[in-house]
Amino acid sequence: MNIVVCIKQVPDEPIIRIDSERMTLIREGTESTINPLDRVALEAGLHLRKHNGGQVTVLSMGPPRGEESLREALAAGADRAILLTDPAFAGSDTLATSHVLARAISRLRPFPDLLLCGMKTIDSDTGHVGPQIAEELGIPQVCGVNKINLEEDSLVVERLSDGFLDTVKVTLPALISVSRECCPVRSLPLGALEIAFSQGDVTRWGCQELGVSEEEVGLKGSATRVRRLLTPAFTRKGEIVSGSPRLLVDRLIGTLEAVGLLDEEDG
Amino acid sequence: MDKGSLLHGVWVFGDYRNYFQNRVTLQLIAKGRGLAETLRTRVTVLLLGEAVHQYAMEYIAHGADVVMVAEHPDLKCYQVESYTNVVARWAEAFKPNILLGGATSFGREFFPRLAKRLRTGLSADCVNLAVDPDTGLLLQTTPAFGGNLLAEVVTSQHRPQMATIHPCVFKELPHNAGAVGRVVYPEIEVKANTRVRVLRSRRQQVQRDNLQDAEIVIVGGRGLGSKNQFKLLFELAELLEGEVGATRPVVLAGWADEERLLGQTGKTVKPKVLISIGTSGALQYTTGIKEAETIIAINRDPQAPIFKMADLGLVGESSAVLPLLLETLRNRI
Amino acid sequence: MIAFRESPISAHHNYFVNGMLAQGFVVGDPSSNDSFFLLADVVPHGEIRPRISARLMDEEAHLLLELKANRIGRNPGKCSIEPFLDGYRVWRSSGNVLIEVRTRVFANGYLTLIEARLFDEHGHLRVEPKDESIWVCGGECRFLAAPLPEGGSTKRE
Repeated sequence: MNIVVCIKQVPDEPIIRIDSERMTLIREGTESTINPLDRVALEAGLHLRKHNGGQVTVLSMGPPRGEESLREALAAGADRAILLTDPAFAGSDTLATSHVLARAISRLRPFPDLLLCGMKTIDSDTGHVGPQIAEELGIPQVCGVNKINLEEDSLVVERLSDGFLDTVKVTLPALISVSRECCPVRSLPLGALEIAFSQGDVTRWGCQELGVSEEEVGLKGSATRVRRLLTPAFTRKGEIVSGSPRLLVDRLIGTLEAVGLLDEEDG
Repeated sequence: MDKGSLLHGVWVFGDYRNYFQNRVTLQLIAKGRGLAETLRTRVTVLLLGEAVHQYAMEYIAHGADVVMVAEHPDLKCYQVESYTNVVARWAEAFKPNILLGGATSFGREFFPRLAKRLRTGLSADCVNLAVDPDTGLLLQTTPAFGGNLLAEVVTSQHRPQMATIHPCVFKELPHNAGAVGRVVYPEIEVKANTRVRVLRSRRQQVQRDNLQDAEIVIVGGRGLGSKNQFKLLFELAELLEGEVGATRPVVLAGWADEERLLGQTGKTVKPKVLISIGTSGALQYTTGIKEAETIIAINRDPQAPIFKMADLGLVGESSAVLPLLLETLRNRI
Repeated sequence: MIAFRESPISAHHNYFVNGMLAQGFVVGDPSSNDSFFLLADVVPHGEIRPRISARLMDEEAHLLLELKANRIGRNPGKCSIEPFLDGYRVWRSSGNVLIEVRTRVFANGYLTLIEARLFDEHGHLRVEPKDESIWVCGGECRFLAAPLPEGGSTKRE
């Protein structure tokens, strides 16, 4: 079974810094990780490979440092890793991103039986890329899947959607986006990360290899753009208190009393 | 009646499943009316299914000018590809200016496919919409960067301008039984989708969850230092009659079960009070706690981002504060 | 380009004709004295009963009966009305049902379904039932935006 997992490298840093000109994240110098739900998707792919044989190829679109996440995927057990990287890809919205990924997937021989990805990312949180890849490739999709069973040339999957638990049969090839319950994530085998970083092979494809023009990708190939960024949705102007543990504890208890979670004490 | 008045409208996808609890379509009709008035056009609701007459009448009652209907047995169950085929055909013919949908599970799976089919822009889970007075463009405000910021998104050239909107952001108009409107039935070709078949669909009871119901939640992060330190949180929770949550590094380290994970890949909680101890405030964690009424954070680093979202920030060593807190509380009770 | 059909509807009460919802419709000319017509008039907010008036013939163009707002008027065919919980049936003396009117109640509105196979004064089939809807096969079906004035001519939509 030929499986392709699409992963995204996302910031793992609490501090976000924004390039206010391009309205995008400044990724240099920040910690990054595989988007958690994509890691679940990878695990689901590895699990299917274990029981049905085949190959797991991991794809990611991003700047050159995206290689780190692909090496992590190799360490987890992926057979092949391809980084889709090109300066022209910067600033892509989901329309352009899905185009790049779909083009890359259609270059693979043989064409995969199954595409897996996380149902959303922790930074963009749109959940659009999976369905848009499926649309471009003309294959069916099922999103938010928490259980996958393979049956001959189709999958029977389960997913929760608007309060309904659906059992869905989908013919292959198909795109499945997974929820966090889909597969437990095992830790990496000891030493696997080192091997992946020293010996792992990550192929790089850019506009040329994919046969896409600059107009089809990046900011130019996007239909939406961010006009401006607005103040944080949920900052609070709280008081910051330093001092002895006694002082801190008293302040904490004072607050709990103030909101009614503790009865006020006399004296 | 002329086709002209059906062109360039504000369209709203009729997501009628769970109609009486799921009010998002009605909320979007209400908002759509305001947008349509500014743009001098009409609100059309799209209705696909079988025997959906009741909803056509409801949508007119709640402010739609037009309901565009596709009735066919193969449309009876929501289906992404079948619905994409029908709505894309309509969009090509009637060229809507704006197309809105609720950010329900179905909406969030259907709209991206439709937007790709139409090669247009789509913003997800918007928390506000407005028409820019200068350009006439739809300004779509969406959460960005894990919800820490808001982004104002525009689709300048492509049409329709598509967006899914978070439920309960807008208010529906009251039901008006005296309302009148039009129902339109375009000619459509519907082919049964043989690639995706729903074998079974069962309504799920909402699982009651102690953590999500708790009035007070105490969360421990990596800054606690050890599993033994983390265990103190359970005693604290007991004293305060609350529940214990954890961040991802803590779960990965084995100090707490996956059930306690809070954040993007874990649970979202909205307690009265949330005490976050030894957590730096990573994006994927804070997104699960940002709606708590009162947030108290304890961290040794005054620059920790968690303090930006705390109502009360306490700078100190959790290893000193926690035991003293427990002792103080034990003596009170 | 795409072909489409449309009709005016109300939030309160509609009929189902030609596979479409419609707040009111008329086939034929109610202001005539001898011709076939079927009028499903607009039901104003506040009322819940459908308003059916008609002049009905049999297959041989003989006048069977006139209905005025659900009540039997001239009745040379000796038809009878049988009311039931959500509507009524008109029986021909031959033992067949001439027309059946049934109103579905939704949470906030009403839908009246009409089932009938009707002929005009020339013996032509004008209306027939299919899939819960009534279909107009001979002549025009005119949609109504408001109740017809008493005895007035059909308002052109």
